[in-house]
Amino acid sequence: MNKKIKFRVNGKKAELEVPTNRLLIDCLRYDLGLTGTKEGCSVGVCGACTVLLDGDMITACLTLAVMADGHDITTVEGLAKNGELNPVQKSFIQYGGFQCGICTPGQVVAATALLKENPKPNEEEIKDWMMGNLCRCTGYYKIIESIEKAHQFAK
Amino acid sequence: MKFSQTAQIPVAREPLWDFLMDVPKVAKSLPGVESVNKLDDTTYEGALTVRVGPIKLNLQGKIILEEQNKTDWRAALRAEAKDRMAAGAVNGKTTMTLKELGANQTELLVETDVNILGKIGEFGQPIIRKKADAMLKEFVENIKKQLAG
Amino acid sequence: MIPFEYRTPKNLKEVHATLKEFGADAKLISGGTALVIMMKQRLVRPSCLVSLGSVRGLNGIELKNGGVSIGGLATHRSVEGSSLVRRRLPMLAETYHHVATLRIRNVATVGGGLAHADPNQDPPPSLIALGATVKVTSANGSRVVPLDEFFKGYYETILNPDEIITEVMVPKLAANTGAAYIKFLPRTADDYATVSAAAVLTLDKTMKTIADVRIALGSVGETPIHATAAEALLRGQPLKAEAFAEAGEKAKEAVDPVSDFRGSAAYKKDMAGVFVRRALEKALADIRQQAKAKSAPKPAKKKVAKKKGKKK
Repeated sequence: MNKKIKFRVNGKKAELEVPTNRLLIDCLRYDLGLTGTKEGCSVGVCGACTVLLDGDMITACLTLAVMADGHDITTVEGLAKNGELNPVQKSFIQYGGFQCGICTPGQVVAATALLKENPKPNEEEIKDWMMGNLCRCTGYYKIIESIEKAHQFAK
Repeated sequence: MKFSQTAQIPVAREPLWDFLMDVPKVAKSLPGVESVNKLDDTTYEGALTVRVGPIKLNLQGKIILEEQNKTDWRAALRAEAKDRMAAGAVNGKTTMTLKELGANQTELLVETDVNILGKIGEFGQPIIRKKADAMLKEFVENIKKQLAG
Repeated sequence: MIPFEYRTPKNLKEVHATLKEFGADAKLISGGTALVIMMKQRLVRPSCLVSLGSVRGLNGIELKNGGVSIGGLATHRSVEGSSLVRRRLPMLAETYHHVATLRIRNVATVGGGLAHADPNQDPPPSLIALGATVKVTSANGSRVVPLDEFFKGYYETILNPDEIITEVMVPKLAANTGAAYIKFLPRTADDYATVSAAAVLTLDKTMKTIADVRIALGSVGETPIHATAAEALLRGQPLKAEAFAEAGEKAKEAVDPVSDFRGSAAYKKDMAGVFVRRALEKALADIRQQAKAKSAPKPAKKKVAKKKGKKK
């Protein structure tokens, strides 16, 4: 059965009719064309599908689209403002925080949420916050460094 | 997955054997069995519902009387069932052996070997093991009740 | 996922009415992280999902009769970060911090977690050791159940299909009480425990005798295990070196773990003994540290006593 939902994605209004069993990740990727969010494991463990709901990290592959009704969703596409990358994104480029890139949208969204709460996290705090975002390529060193140094790019 | 259950049934070996040859009666002693219908002399079809918390399985399939060895007092039933909603399948074999303990006392040994396939199999082997163990215990108790009463 | 109806009741009355309308095939959903996985795998196929997302007023965390009352819809994250919980029950804040990842904790609720009743979860052993009770509400009223009587089996609780957990109540702790929760994680940080142990220890005024103790274990049975026999060994006894190890050995008799990818049954049983001992030792250290902090000269600025635990 279908339900009409109204929510905001990256600051823009979205009004859709979706089946109740539509997952948020599929709604974002296929109904809204926002393919930046990736599906890695489908069971909520890898973090590739990390998006923000009202500023908090959630697992898009375990969230029903109908659960987003009335809320504000931020995906990786919403981090840059007016074509300018946000400090986390700039830092990931500067310090090489990604290789194949598949986990990167999730990493960057999660790190952005971290910096909002703690503008200068130390390594321990970064590891604790980012623990649910897995990466098979980098070994995490550069991801941690990118996040640690992101404050250099803050205005 | 292997299970073994033993029970002392206060009945002589022969009537116990006759009871065990009545496949529908035996099948219905297993908790959750909803129906057993005869297809031919050794084949039946059946339906079984199993619940583990919010998870409900509706298994449907065949039960085959594979071995009927009265000389050795051993019978075996083979079952192959699929979950209606395709969450998985179960196939297994149960061997029942009777040992005479006295004029009105028989030891029933039920040895089961079961394979759980598909999602239910992936999902929780420990849950399945505990559940199956509890079901087989109740199975043996039900047989005992039906014969003792 | 099999299609289903989706309802968003605005209050408890509407929740109960919706549950009544759909009967036993309706499922309550709050955070949904556990339920959606099972639905994706077609293991659970409700005809209607009753979302608790619009129900207000059940997510508070407050002081109540000296203890802490946690609303059934409070998220794991709110418990972990609550200044009240961190001050009064730091072991509980730490326990909730141990659950899965931050993404899960942001949406998973206290009540939803308990209702899911996976015996590998972190909060139940800690809550049982703290003597927690749950308030369970239906259209006909509420009942209060001690948490160690709440769990019946794997994913099975005493909840009737029309009942919802509205409150978890942790009673006031006695003086000279220390608490500890240890999660044995030989694999990855976001996993369930191989074995976990929670201990709440109370010493008498002399600080030399065990006035009371509560011990609970996770991941070693079909439900969390309340190790009452081990507790009986310690209650009223003088504090002595071997006491905790003996209690650990006794606790092993209460466990019935299964072999899986987190460890063999035999290994988990052995570790149950080890981690009960360690949890008791940590609880004792907690008592001593609190005593030290209390007797330390007060600095000019008021400081919260530093407790061992992860920062958020």
